[in-house]
Amino acid sequence: MSIASHDTASTPLPHPSSAQDAAAEPGREAPIADWVTIEDLDRDPFPIYARMRAEAPVHWVPAINRYMVVGFDACHEVEQDADRFSADEEGSLMKRSMGHSMLRKDDPEHQIDRASYGSTLRPATIKNVWMEIFAKNHRTWMDHLLAAGPGADFVWDYAAPYTADNLRLIMGFHSATQEDMQRWSQTLINGTGNYADDPEVWAQAERSSAEVDAAIDEMIPYLLRHPDASLLSGLASMPIPMEAIRANLKMTIGGGLNEPRDVLATTVWALLNRPEQLAAVQADPSLWGAAFEESVRWVAPIGMYPRQVTQATVLDGIRLPAGAHLGIVLGAANRDASRWDNAEEYDLLRPKQAHLAFGGGQHFCAGTWIARAQVAQVSLPAVFAELPGLRLAPPEASVDKGWVFRGMTQMPVAW
Amino acid sequence: MPTITYHQPSGERTTLEVAEGATVMRTAVTNGVPGIVGECGGQAMCATCHVYVRGDVALPERSEDEDEMLDCTSSERTDASRLGCQIAVGGGLDSLEVDVPASQV
Repeated sequence: MSIASHDTASTPLPHPSSAQDAAAEPGREAPIADWVTIEDLDRDPFPIYARMRAEAPVHWVPAINRYMVVGFDACHEVEQDADRFSADEEGSLMKRSMGHSMLRKDDPEHQIDRASYGSTLRPATIKNVWMEIFAKNHRTWMDHLLAAGPGADFVWDYAAPYTADNLRLIMGFHSATQEDMQRWSQTLINGTGNYADDPEVWAQAERSSAEVDAAIDEMIPYLLRHPDASLLSGLASMPIPMEAIRANLKMTIGGGLNEPRDVLATTVWALLNRPEQLAAVQADPSLWGAAFEESVRWVAPIGMYPRQVTQATVLDGIRLPAGAHLGIVLGAANRDASRWDNAEEYDLLRPKQAHLAFGGGQHFCAGTWIARAQVAQVSLPAVFAELPGLRLAPPEASVDKGWVFRGMTQMPVAW
Repeated sequence: MPTITYHQPSGERTTLEVAEGATVMRTAVTNGVPGIVGECGGQAMCATCHVYVRGDVALPERSEDEDEMLDCTSSERTDASRLGCQIAVGGGLDSLEVDVPASQV
């Protein structure tokens, strides 16, 4: 997610040199991965992650001016220890783009914001309220895809508008359109990743931020009169500072649309390229959940997020100085060969094992159950039932891209 | 000191002495007891610390959050099902014995 700059341009921060500290904290310095480039990561990060993991679980990466944590055990240790690894990162671009949301707070402050989301994203509400809405939105956007005809793009004619419309209603933005949701999501995310400090990217993020603020101000009085199960409706009557509400909702727009869109398209792409696995899941619909979980393991939609080290420490044998900025690379942890056989392969029949695609600890994804429901329970079974002849048209036209966020950017299909 | 005992599906048994207030989930994760994941760190959000409590012990009622999450467990829910993050020893409860389910994900 956010890549903040810090003072040292291309070398690791100096390690505190106290002999006592060194004695108390064995461990080696992180290797310097000066061979890693953002361009290569963006095209295909997985061979890079494999090479890094083989060498060390944590590297200093000059190209992104932070440490990258690529081993499963190291990523898991960070997630479970918020005292040593803070989410409240200094200089966070996410804070600039979206405001200071719960994703960049530690407990106890984080917990207050998290609790303010109430039961909206929890399984009982999903079952009682959202499933029917997901089914309706699937119908709308499947009809749109059918009307577009063979050659339509699975991402842009179905997955994106379907997940955007779902999120619009979950959040309570009744006066907005799914196109608004997509524009807000992308421009706010672009701000979060604006390492190049491009003024046009900031301008677009600021415009979206102002539009979201206006939509919130418009919807709150309406939802106070007409309450529903949405996030905004619950927040409307809650004693939470408006500033926190705005930041949390912007984070949720960024975290609740691109990700289910990407896992949906990636899963369809994986299955269309592996007819024997598609046949297995069509023969046994109870496997749709496994198809989804394997997809987020294989290509985590959020590939990396930041943390900051609060005190000099050793992480899985690698010394880290106080204040160090880390990238927790879930996309790499989820392909750690010490945990999964044939980790680079998509195999929905592999033995089930917990992955890190939803993060862990206090920042475990609040939208996990929403994503599973809208993608694995509603969309995937319906798409393949209604389009039995679905195919990539042609296969080589599909494009998978990205590393901080990764998904299909182009996926023409026919049926 | 209070104790928590974990019974694995294999029949293997681990008994740990713990501090007052220690939860079944945190104790398992901290001590490397297999079969309990605890992905969400104890927020009753992920349903990966499911256990079956042995015997008729006085535990607090299931909250609404715990109850709905127990409907999402990988292994079958029974009357003995609890989330390990929501139950603790201490306060008059000196020992807890739980069966670890065959799967959490």
